Amino acid sequence: MKLLIIEDEQALRDNITHYFNDDGNICESCSSLLGAINKLSNYDYDCVLLDIGLPDGDGFAILEYLKAQMKNEAVLIISARNSLDDKLKGLNIGADDYLTKPFHLAELKARVVAIYRRKAFNSNNKLVFNEIAIDLLGRSVDVNQIPVTLTRKEYDMLLYFIANKGKVISKNALAEHLWGDEMDMHDNFDFIYTHIKNLRKKLLEATANDYLRSIYGIGYKFSPQ
Amino acid sequence: MKLSAHYSKASIIITISVLLVGAVVYFFAINYIADNQLNSDLTEEIGEVIEYVNFHGQLPKPVDFDEDQTSFVKTNQTYVPTRFFDTVYKNPKEKNPEAGRAIAGLISLKGQHYITTITVSRESTEDLLQIIGAITLALSIALLVILLITNRYILSGLWRPFYDTVNALKAFNISDSKRLHLKHNKVDEFNELNRVVETMASRVKSDYQHLKHFTENASHEMLTPLAVITAKLDTLIQDETLKPEQFEQINDIYSAASKLSRLNQSLLLLVKIENNLVDDAELLSLDGLISQKIRQFNELLLTKDINVIEHLEEKEITASKYLVDILLNNLFSNAIRHNTDHGQVIITLTANKFIFQNTGSENPLNDKRLFERFQKGQKSEGTGLGLTIVKNICNLYHWDIAYSHENAFHTFLITF
Repeated sequence: MKLLIIEDEQALRDNITHYFNDDGNICESCSSLLGAINKLSNYDYDCVLLDIGLPDGDGFAILEYLKAQMKNEAVLIISARNSLDDKLKGLNIGADDYLTKPFHLAELKARVVAIYRRKAFNSNNKLVFNEIAIDLLGRSVDVNQIPVTLTRKEYDMLLYFIANKGKVISKNALAEHLWGDEMDMHDNFDFIYTHIKNLRKKLLEATANDYLRSIYGIGYKFSPQ
Repeated sequence: MKLSAHYSKASIIITISVLLVGAVVYFFAINYIADNQLNSDLTEEIGEVIEYVNFHGQLPKPVDFDEDQTSFVKTNQTYVPTRFFDTVYKNPKEKNPEAGRAIAGLISLKGQHYITTITVSRESTEDLLQIIGAITLALSIALLVILLITNRYILSGLWRPFYDTVNALKAFNISDSKRLHLKHNKVDEFNELNRVVETMASRVKSDYQHLKHFTENASHEMLTPLAVITAKLDTLIQDETLKPEQFEQINDIYSAASKLSRLNQSLLLLVKIENNLVDDAELLSLDGLISQKIRQFNELLLTKDINVIEHLEEKEITASKYLVDILLNNLFSNAIRHNTDHGQVIITLTANKFIFQNTGSENPLNDKRLFERFQKGQKSEGTGLGLTIVKNICNLYHWDIAYSHENAFHTFLITF
C-alpha cells in the first residue's frame, strides 16, 4: 500500500510513517498544502492521511483537488477539531473516514486498512490470514474451512488485530476501539481481558495457531510467528 | 417596603405636620384679626356713647344700641384706662351664654364718673372660625386622599421602566447570544440606568465569549500534542526489549493521556452545548434509545452482574440524537462505575418522567454540588464532567433534573 501522510506536526508524521512502514507499506509525507498538491499531481497513492489544519491552508482544499482531478485515492481525515460539521463536510467532499486527534496508531492503521480494502478489493470480500479466512460482507470467520461463531466484539477485535498484525496494541487502544469515544469506560479493562480470552479460546478450538500474546500487562500482540 | 410606600409614608407625615402647624397658625391669625375687628367696632361704639352723652346730657338707654349690651356703673375713680377684654355675653333672647368681647371706659356726666362697659357677641366670628376650620379640614383630607392616590398610581406608572429593566435583568442569560435590549422611556434617569446596564451586559457577554473561545481554542490546541504523546507511546511499546517496570510506567502515561483527552473532549462538548452549537434536534423515540443503550452496555453490566429492571412507556422527544446518546451514556457509565457487584439498575420512563436509579455507595451524594464541574467521588476515575454534561443537556432542552437518595438507590429524575 502506498500512502501519503499530510501532517504538519513533525513528531506525529514521523511516528505514523514509521508505524506504517514496518508493515511493508511505502509512506511518503509532507507538511503543507502546497507540498501535498505537488505530490498528488505527480504520483498516485492508495491512501492519503490528511490533517485538516495545515499551516498554509485548509485541508479540505486537497479533497476538492482530488475530486476535480478525478483521482481515486482513499482519504482519511485526521483533525484536531472534533466538530460534527467538519466531519460531515469532509465526508461529503469525498473523504472515506474521519479520525479525531488524539488517536492510537493501531486505530489509524485499522481504519486505513479498512478503507483501502473497500476501495481496492471491491469484488473480493475475503480477508485471509494464514488459516483464518474472513468474509467481510457476511461477517463470518472460517478456520481451516470450519466456521467459527464469534460475537460482534470478538469479530471487531479479530479484524483489528489482523490489521495491526505484528504490532503491540495497548489495552487503551483496544478499549477505545471496542467502546468508542463516548462510553467513558476506558478505565475498565476487565471486559477486554474476557473478550480476548474468549476469542483466543474459540480460535484455538477451531485448530488455529495461537497468534495472540499478552505483553507485560500493557497490551496484546497478534503475530504470525 | 416598596419605594412608593416609603415615599407615601414620608410625604403623608410631612403633609400632616405642615397642615397641623398651618391650622394652628391659621387659628391664631383669624382670632387675632377677628379681635382687632371687634375692638375697632367697640371703639366706635364707645365713641358713639360719648357723643350721645355729650349731646343729650344723659346716659343712653340700653335698648338704644341694638343688641350690644351697655352698662354704666358709677365710680369715684377719676381715671380708668380704656381696656378690651373677653367676657360672657348673655343674649336676652336666648338663654345660653355666649362668648363675648367687651370694652370698658370712663365717661363723665355732670361731674359724675361712670365706668361704661359695652359687650358684643363673638358668635359671628366663632361661626366664621368654625366654617373656615371645616373647610380647611375638608381640604386637608381631600389633599391626603389625592396624595395617596397619586403616589399609588402615578408613581407606580413612573417606576414602570425601572421594573421593566429589573425584569429584563432577571431574564438576562450570559450565554444567550441575544443582545440585552431595554426599552427607551421618557425618564432621563431610567434611560441613563438602561444605558449603563446595557453597556455592562454587553461587556460581560463579550468577556464570557472570550473566555469560552479561549477554552475552546486551548482545548483544540491541546489535541495535537496529545496525539503526539499517544503516537509516541504506541511506537514505544513496539520495543519488546523494554523491562516490565518500564511497561508499567508507560501504562500510567497511557492512562493519564487518555484521561486528559477525555477531559478535553468533555470540556469541548460543554462549550458546544453552552454555545448552543448542537442544533440537530429531531423527533426521537426515547424508549427505543434506552433499550438500545441497555443492549450496548449489556456486556459491561454482565461483568458486574448488574440486574437491569426497565419499565419503559412510549415517549417521543425532540432533541439531538448525539446529545441524548451522551446523556444516556453518562448515566449508564455512572450507574455501572459506581455500582456494587450484583447491584441493580431501575429505569422508568413515563410520558413526563425519566427515572434512573442504581444501587451503589450507601451514602447519598452531595445533591447541591453534584452537577458542578469536577465534583466526583474520591474513588471515581471519571472526568468529573459527566453529570455537568447531563445537567447542561437537560438545561438546553428545558428538562428538570434532580437527584435523590432513597432506599439505597441513587435516583436521577428528569422531568420533561
